[in-house]
Amino acid sequence: MMHSSLLGDLIELNELLDAERATALEERKQRDRRIGRKLQHQRSKPATQIRAWLQASGDSAAHKNGLQGNRLYHALCLALVITGLITGWGLSSAVLFYDGNQPINIVSAVVVLVLPQILLLLLWLLATLPVKLPLFSNIGETLGFLNPGRLAGHLAGAFSKKENTGLAMLWDPDNVAILAPAARWLFSFWSQLFAFSFNIGALAAAFFLVSFSDLAFVWSTTLTISNETFHQLLATLSTPWSTFAPDAVPGLELIEKSRYYRLEEGSLAADAAASPQLAVDLGHWWPFLIAAISCYGLLPRLLTLGISWFRLRHHLRKALCNLPGAPELLARMNSPLVSTLAVQPEEAHEIASNPFSGKAEASRYALSCPVVDWSGASHNPDEITAQLGNMGIETLEFLRAGGRQSTEQDTALLTNLCRQKLEGIGILVKAWEPPLLDFLDFVRGIRRQCGPKKPVVVLLWGGKDGITIADRNTWQVTLAQLGDPDLHIETIGQTV
Amino acid sequence: MTVPVFAIVGHPNKGKSSIVSTLSRDESVLISAIPGTTVDNRCYPMAVDGEVLYELIDTPGFQRARAALEWMHSHTGSALERADTVRRFVEEHQADPRFDAECNLLAPILEGAGILYVVDGSRPFGEDYEAEMEILRWTGQPSLALINMISDSDHSEDWKKALGQYFRIVRVFDAMTADFDRRVQLLLAFGEIREEWRAALENAVRILREEQAGKRTLAARVIAEMLARMITHVRRHRLTPDEDMDQARATLLQEYKQELAGMERRCRDEVEQIYNHGDLERQEAVVQLLGDDLFSRQTWVLFGLTRQQLVATGALGGAAAGGMIDLAVHGASLLLGSGLGAVAGGVSAWLTSDRIANIKVLGHPLGGEQISIGPMRNINFPYVVLGRALLHHRMVEQRTHAHRGPLELASGMQQLQLANAGTRRRFEKIFSRLRKQESWRADLVSSLAGLIEKLDEKE
Repeated sequence: MMHSSLLGDLIELNELLDAERATALEERKQRDRRIGRKLQHQRSKPATQIRAWLQASGDSAAHKNGLQGNRLYHALCLALVITGLITGWGLSSAVLFYDGNQPINIVSAVVVLVLPQILLLLLWLLATLPVKLPLFSNIGETLGFLNPGRLAGHLAGAFSKKENTGLAMLWDPDNVAILAPAARWLFSFWSQLFAFSFNIGALAAAFFLVSFSDLAFVWSTTLTISNETFHQLLATLSTPWSTFAPDAVPGLELIEKSRYYRLEEGSLAADAAASPQLAVDLGHWWPFLIAAISCYGLLPRLLTLGISWFRLRHHLRKALCNLPGAPELLARMNSPLVSTLAVQPEEAHEIASNPFSGKAEASRYALSCPVVDWSGASHNPDEITAQLGNMGIETLEFLRAGGRQSTEQDTALLTNLCRQKLEGIGILVKAWEPPLLDFLDFVRGIRRQCGPKKPVVVLLWGGKDGITIADRNTWQVTLAQLGDPDLHIETIGQTV
Repeated sequence: MTVPVFAIVGHPNKGKSSIVSTLSRDESVLISAIPGTTVDNRCYPMAVDGEVLYELIDTPGFQRARAALEWMHSHTGSALERADTVRRFVEEHQADPRFDAECNLLAPILEGAGILYVVDGSRPFGEDYEAEMEILRWTGQPSLALINMISDSDHSEDWKKALGQYFRIVRVFDAMTADFDRRVQLLLAFGEIREEWRAALENAVRILREEQAGKRTLAARVIAEMLARMITHVRRHRLTPDEDMDQARATLLQEYKQELAGMERRCRDEVEQIYNHGDLERQEAVVQLLGDDLFSRQTWVLFGLTRQQLVATGALGGAAAGGMIDLAVHGASLLLGSGLGAVAGGVSAWLTSDRIANIKVLGHPLGGEQISIGPMRNINFPYVVLGRALLHHRMVEQRTHAHRGPLELASGMQQLQLANAGTRRRFEKIFSRLRKQESWRADLVSSLAGLIEKLDEKE
């Protein structure tokens, strides 16, 4: 669900990406690519893609928090606008206070309503410079808390349930590396909003007083400044609006008329009372004052407000793409969905886990029996014979089965063997090769043809590499499936 | 164009499933030492946005190859009929449980799949393989033999001699340790067995390479995010009036350490997810090097302002209000309004601050005594964390999906040693700015991610 503001989307995205970690990656990949494919035309606009993704996959809880954050942001904006309007109105009313006795010194009015604003504007410019000036940086850090935007941020933080959620996520220390630029421009935007409202309030108050009372402006100085010089100074100050608002440029005549000395206090008031024309003339300063506040207060603040707003949006868009999890999301949306996984889950064959019924430990035998070499397990019968002798098995003869022998030959071999009165049969196998069904068929063939109870000893031969425990376990588990109590497993050679 | 299909066949327990698991990056493949675990064919298509580029089919191992070959011998006339004989074998034994494995594994080959015959090169060649290799030759399908090195012994030369008689192409491939490049080289080798499959496999390799590059970028990003968070992390605690300071500080320190460990753990999880190792078990010691370097301080706060800041704010507000009176009387008050306003504002802020701080809004006080730990000032800390993260990344990146044991990360510091002075300077510049929590202009995480990615590529 898309908010009207990027800020709400940022808060929602942050919560959603955090909650998303519980969702299986494969599921996320498929969903995000599906959404991403519909948004391929916006590939060069990742923030737009992410906002569209939010719309497509947002959940209500995160959306609610996004809305709450957005509301808080707007509430703070409104609070700053109201505070700015009141302050501006109040200050302007104080500066333009005129009870008919003491005319308003236009110099004071300009100094109070315009000059500080120009200074503050210069400071703002310094703070926004791309290069960092240590002195100003330190001043900024020290006095930063007086910034109305920051104060608003502190206030918002104080009422947040958690430090890192909602609007407060912007100035959470954990997010400083990603969200600090956005937070900075948010503070700047709030400050400029306050300043802009202040100017509106000041202008509104000025208009009100001009419209509904008679104001008398004078100028006064102890310095030896001639009227001409003062005129020149004001003409320079009025340059920005002199072409399209010439009436707002005080003329020499007005300056001469409105020069005021306190020694003559009372006489001017008396004159004004005596001459309504003088009262009207002294009031002609107001277009200049309004133009000065507008040009040096309101318009620059409008500009800085606009810059802050655009920079805030720029950094919020960047933050949308840089939040932890967002680059991954964009990658999932914009990269082809590569799947190499199996389509179906695997159905494993359950191997019966009955314990091996034959003897699996090394034991002494007293057997004289033939040994069947299965699949050419060993090329050294003498060595095998010697080792079997140590186990108490006397090798009557070496026979071959499996491998290159045919199954018919195996059957014939067994028929032959079982005709003899054997004490048992040894089968020499390669321990490293797992017992196949082919081999199990052979063992079953022995039982079928030679009958039960006759010891069948499976002799695991490890060759020069020895027998691993894993190999031995494989043989034990597999042969256990036969359930033959007279089937034995022995190892020949070292176990590694 | 037909989609290349490869049936992975061979003796049981020779690593067929391991190879499939490695190539398909699928941890769900059952790998067991017990023969006969794989009973049915299982298909692993490589699909790009739903379009299949090739398919791997894991098959059960041969169980009665001798008997099957004997049947075929007894039912064929000349060499021309061999493929048909194999087909007839499968058709006639479809319902015979004795030849379940053979019928299953031969079915995709008879439908046109290429043969990838897998043997274990660490175990000696034996005559019991000859029957199955002969059956595969009878199918007449293009084939390639893979010598999988399961353990340390090497019998690959013998195998090459034997396999060379049945297969045109023989490759050695270790399914457990093969890195990404070896995996794609193997895929390209698959394309060599049939000319018309080459383009599809080259396309698949190109896409996999792009995907791998994307994964590296993402992993670097995740590591950079973690580093930035760990360095800048601050843990705060608002003290209640009757709370023991030392106890609170110890608890806070413990929580701070746990949170740092949690951030590292989360980064590891994410990197593993990027490389499709989502269920990996990890063995790693928690990052240390916290001790005395931790920055801990106690402050009084209200609305996030210290008491001094609050008094200054109150004084300024009072001065501004008083200043309006001064202006209204045209300075006749000699700035008394501003002065008195400043004093009144400052003093009232000082006197009422504690009372305001204790006011609870939405269940928590507006201010009060607060202790905090962080951000991390230890200059070695980021290098230790980065060193550990890069080691983990390399291990995960190189780990194949056939590897099923836990990922064991060496204990100890693993501090990153940067030989290049320029790189070291660039890292230190970012770390320093993070430590000071200066991130007003540049996107430090992106810069850090770029550096990490380059560093990882070099190493």
